[in-house]
Amino acid sequence: MTMTWSIAAPALSAAFAASLVEVVEAFTIVLAVATLRGWRPAALGTAGGLAVLGIAVAALGPLLARVPLDALQLPIGVLLLLFGLGWLRKAALRAAGVIPLHDEEAIFAAQSATLDATGPRQLTRLDWAAAMTAFQGVLLEGLEVVFIVIAVGAGRGLLLPAGLGAAAACAVVLAIGALVHRPLSRVPENALKFGVGVMLSAFGVYWTGEGLGVPWPGQDLALLAFVPLFLGAGIAAAAMARRPIMEIAR
Amino acid sequence: MTLIKDVAVELAGMFVGDARLTLAILAVIAAAAAICLSGAEPLIGGAALLLGSLAVLLDSVRRGARSQG
Repeated sequence: MTMTWSIAAPALSAAFAASLVEVVEAFTIVLAVATLRGWRPAALGTAGGLAVLGIAVAALGPLLARVPLDALQLPIGVLLLLFGLGWLRKAALRAAGVIPLHDEEAIFAAQSATLDATGPRQLTRLDWAAAMTAFQGVLLEGLEVVFIVIAVGAGRGLLLPAGLGAAAACAVVLAIGALVHRPLSRVPENALKFGVGVMLSAFGVYWTGEGLGVPWPGQDLALLAFVPLFLGAGIAAAAMARRPIMEIAR
Repeated sequence: MTLIKDVAVELAGMFVGDARLTLAILAVIAAAAAICLSGAEPLIGGAALLLGSLAVLLDSVRRGARSQG
């Protein structure tokens, strides 16, 4: 099956944007560990989390390669729809001001308070509690990155562009994080989540339809038509959600 | 054990953040599959899937705003 730019570009950009959000969240936790307990437990926990994720990818990759693409499209499409619409719903509610925005500074403060509660910094031996905090943060946020890469990539042999998108997001966050040494609170996280929700939902409908045998008009190009539809619905939903709040405020 | 539980919660939360939304999406997919398997034009099933997903999103956000308000 040939890879077309019309479908590789959305896979790459969806993986990049989604990974950016998750890596920023993981970075906040690792930074809190590094700031309060030193770089050694932060680096060890991060390396451990990445190693477990690497093992998961190495185990899943060959397994997925053995499954025919036709058999993958329906389950992956369903999971993408569940995941994508969930993100889009939450992003629309956040955009409408119904639920609070994700606040990296607040998460940094909360993580710092949790670490403070575990006791004083240990200078002589390895701080396992701090390392576990970094490990858990990287593992939990990384799981979502792994799912997104597999989900947008495996449906049509696009694991390479999706993986490149995720790797680029890691590189961007690490480079900026190394420069500023602060939680990346200026990243427009909700706008990114909104965009990712739109793209994952579009992929979800496309793959689910393919899995059900729907002959989408224009084939891969149908995916590009679904994106503005979900974007429009997301914006309309956010506007609709904002109205009752305005009425209550009045 | 806590870590395994956290991983399980994270994985479940990825797909079942809102139980009603999840059920509504699965119902739309089931309806689209029924249309496709019934021998009708599969494109009608595709249209049901697309429009149903958009409707589920709008309804879910509307309900979410109401329950918070």
